[in-house]
Amino acid sequence: MKKLPLIALCLLLSALDAPAQSQPPTPPRAPGAEAAGFTWNRMTADRRQALDAKGDQERGKVAFEPCRGCHLKDAAGRPDGSYPRLAGQHASVLIKQMADIRAGDRDNWKMSPFVDKHVLTPQDMADIAVFVQGLPVPAKHGIGPGTNPQRGQDLYERDCARCHGKEGMGSAAEFFPRLQGQHFRYLLREAIAIRDGGRRNSNPDMIQAIRGYTDADLEAVNDYISRIVRR
Amino acid sequence: MQRSVAGISRHWRVHTTHRLILLACLALVPCASVSAATVVQPDARIGTLVSTVCSSCHMSDGNSAVPLFPKLAGQHREYLARELEDMLDGKRRNDTMAPILSQFRKADIPGLADYYASQSPAPGTVHDATLLEAGRRIYEEGNEESGVPSCSGCHEDDGSGSERFPRLAGQNQEYVVQELRRFRSGSRTNVKYMNAVSKRLTDAEIVAVAEYLASLQ
Repeated sequence: MKKLPLIALCLLLSALDAPAQSQPPTPPRAPGAEAAGFTWNRMTADRRQALDAKGDQERGKVAFEPCRGCHLKDAAGRPDGSYPRLAGQHASVLIKQMADIRAGDRDNWKMSPFVDKHVLTPQDMADIAVFVQGLPVPAKHGIGPGTNPQRGQDLYERDCARCHGKEGMGSAAEFFPRLQGQHFRYLLREAIAIRDGGRRNSNPDMIQAIRGYTDADLEAVNDYISRIVRR
Repeated sequence: MQRSVAGISRHWRVHTTHRLILLACLALVPCASVSAATVVQPDARIGTLVSTVCSSCHMSDGNSAVPLFPKLAGQHREYLARELEDMLDGKRRNDTMAPILSQFRKADIPGLADYYASQSPAPGTVHDATLLEAGRRIYEEGNEESGVPSCSGCHEDDGSGSERFPRLAGQNQEYVVQELRRFRSGSRTNVKYMNAVSKRLTDAEIVAVAEYLASLQ
């Protein structure tokens, strides 16, 4: 019974500690592709440190844990396009995108708190990137409706294959992402954002390549990409 | 044996008949199945701290009877140690714990964490089962529109957590609601991404996910 006063005191203090509401943080924003003199893959100290750091897969597995809530445990993302597949993506591309989001070059309000400088070091980014790059690519992913395969193939071979490769494998050295195995819905969403200026860290050559694409063109070419099978 | 005894100690004083039945049952339990090796025998100072300070709110078996106070039983020792350290360092501000912390030393933390981690967690209490499905959805899938990640990404599908993320299964619903609101308001800041996650949760989602956690064992 002598514990009752202490419990009462605890409860009283607990009530005094009642929280108030506060506003979500504003995501960072830096000049991007819309600004004059934008250099697409400019090398900041943050990027340089992460790219130069030797990634460790075991540490990366641990550092990746908070990412799993959206990208899922196998980094497969979601076929509805809400979150991209990351497994098997080039480490350099993953580092660039993480660094771009935290620098405010790529607007991503959902992800920015999780790659904030107070949360991830450049070494963490290198570790995560090498871990995710090494994950097995899931056998299945979201594919397009298959309505216009020839149009999609023609566009891909004319405008995309030069950088992203015939099999959509991209280029680690050039920071060109691997597209093969990505969800159609995600590919389409990002392609529209790139064309319309919503993805501000885009390569100007990429924006130029799809500037004249109609929505139907974008659907056809990404449909084709989502169906590329690696030989 | 200690694990079982600690687990029922809350009910110990309730009824002499029950007590005798329990004693009879315990006598029948083969010792090997009780895994006494995992139970921590606290040293004298830790034992005194537990019985005179911690147990007032968290009970001696760590299954806090007051819903606003967290269950500590079966929590990961690394998490318990980290949170106590954060409170002592002022990184986790908690007005309830503040006057109590003056009775601890940093050196007590490992012993206290080991002691409560080795206790058996009692099942949680669900207040409104109609919220469980909505809570499960938030926990396992998140909310894509508002950017809420699935909780299971860090805390595991069964809420068991890990050395880096706290066990949530069976936690007091009221405590979970209180902490998510504290993260949301910024009065608890020692886990940065929880501030971001909680700001995306609605009041209804917070209550639903807390109910769901109480239902996990």
